[in-house]
Amino acid sequence: MATREVFESRWQAAALLLPTVLVSIVFLYAPAVRAFELSLFEVGFGTGEADFVGLENYRTLLTSSEYHLSVLLTVLFAVAVVVGVMSFSLVVSFLIHEVEVGKGLYLVSAIWPYALPPAVAGFVFFFLLHPDLGVLTRPIERFGVDVDWFSSGPQAFALITVVAVWKQVGYNVIFMSASMNNIPGSLTETARLDGVGRLRRLLWVYAPIMSPTLAFLAVMNTIYAFFGTFAFIDVMTQGGPAGATNILIFDLYRDALQNFEFGVASAKSVVLFLIVGGLMYVQFRVTEKHAYYGG
Amino acid sequence: MTLLETIVDVPNRAAEYLSGERTGDRLARLREDGLAVHAALASLVLLLLFPVLVAVIVSTKESGIITGLGGLVPGGNTYANYYRALVELEFYRYMLNSLVMASVVVVGKLVVSLLAVLAVVYYRVPYKDIVFLFILFTLLLPVPVRFVPLYRLVTGLGWNNTVLAITVPYLASATTVFVLRQHFLSIPPSLVENAKLDGVGPLEFLWRVLIPMSKGILVGVSVIIFVYAWNQYLWPLVIVGDDLQVAQVGLGQLRGQAQAGDVAWALTMTGSVLTLLPPLVLLVLFRKPLLETFSIQRK
Repeated sequence: MATREVFESRWQAAALLLPTVLVSIVFLYAPAVRAFELSLFEVGFGTGEADFVGLENYRTLLTSSEYHLSVLLTVLFAVAVVVGVMSFSLVVSFLIHEVEVGKGLYLVSAIWPYALPPAVAGFVFFFLLHPDLGVLTRPIERFGVDVDWFSSGPQAFALITVVAVWKQVGYNVIFMSASMNNIPGSLTETARLDGVGRLRRLLWVYAPIMSPTLAFLAVMNTIYAFFGTFAFIDVMTQGGPAGATNILIFDLYRDALQNFEFGVASAKSVVLFLIVGGLMYVQFRVTEKHAYYGG
Repeated sequence: MTLLETIVDVPNRAAEYLSGERTGDRLARLREDGLAVHAALASLVLLLLFPVLVAVIVSTKESGIITGLGGLVPGGNTYANYYRALVELEFYRYMLNSLVMASVVVVGKLVVSLLAVLAVVYYRVPYKDIVFLFILFTLLLPVPVRFVPLYRLVTGLGWNNTVLAITVPYLASATTVFVLRQHFLSIPPSLVENAKLDGVGPLEFLWRVLIPMSKGILVGVSVIIFVYAWNQYLWPLVIVGDDLQVAQVGLGQLRGQAQAGDVAWALTMTGSVLTLLPPLVLLVLFRKPLLETFSIQRK
């Protein structure tokens, strides 16, 4: 049997792997382990002295209503972002799939937000919807809504959700379009001949075939909602008003670098790790399940 | 047609022109697609483009205060705004810092990952699958998960406010290793066997055979890494000071400095457009290899 593994020198292989492994250990694994360790200590501000406190930091999290609110907000935010971005992107990708003229142009105009720096997204929306000076503020207020996300929690929450969805559409369209292109043309023809309408074809024929891609995207979008949205909060709302947009990552940042609560912040890191780990595990199981009937 | 669309459309138009397609045929095919579908698609795409178009328009005006859609006409202040932002308010420094950071991360990640993948795919050594999993597992450890210790580690190394702080921690790349491995596994084994018979060493094989055969993938991966590095916000924000700060964080500075006059918004939008430009240009130019690379990532 032909094999690619023609080289056998162990020290050469080790040398080739060394840079990646070294960086992984020093900057990824060791700090992650250390975060777990630190979460068991109370770290003195300034002195850096650490007192072992066991699970005290976790108990603090369990009893902090502020942290509970932050967890709840983040879950709501993630659900809103995942549902919002995936429905919007599915429609856009489907329409691109349906046309012949201008396909390439539509595709580029839909995937470009993938390149959009999150802080730029934040500043542009800050400008568009500024309660006093925004370009869209007066047109929206004509519908009887008082645009005031500086003091209205629900509005601020809605705003960061919209921005987060906007920025993530590009990434989703990239994968959804590729997945739709792999659907056999014969299937589309059969559905057409059977008189299946567009919407039903999308929901009952395409979506099931695309389910491995959709599962992958659901996980990637959730991870994005948890970790990739810091800049929006930092630029637009700073977690406010009154904690209405204080999602976990912003909360963690504030604890670590504004309050210097290193022990508690590390406990929050560990909680975040458990969440990502859980999500990756779910993705793995879902993909594994779907692998049997292809797609 | 918008500016972006026009730029993006150039290759398509050229192709059409060369293929000699008539406007009439195009209209007929448009009708075949269904005009309603095109109308729906065009409005959705416009919705996606609208915020950035506003930013572009505002960056050409003297005052950024526009309180209504009627004010959305380009002004005559383009040169003045971009000059003021880039030169007088020194936004070019942040752009350069971002460029340095992103370029170092792209080159570093590519080199380090190519070496690792060479070992993973072409060496018969024990435990290499475990090492591969060990590298992949780092996907579970984004910056927030190791935030405090990483901050203390980098500070302890004395790297605060150095380029090392915003590049070295990014050099290990599970995604790059994964994509390159998939690609190398699709290259016929006979190539490496012949190379070995001819006495070609592993590094020479990488340099002379693998890299020339992987140009598309390497371009695609480079764009992905560049966009990823350029769009890093939280880590540079906390670990480097103003001297080395990146464009995204610099936007906040720009707004602060411009706040003195009533032109703050025009200049902030100018900075926003500038910050968006490099990754956007790469995406548009290299969309084909980028899309191909993504299709490997999903396999």
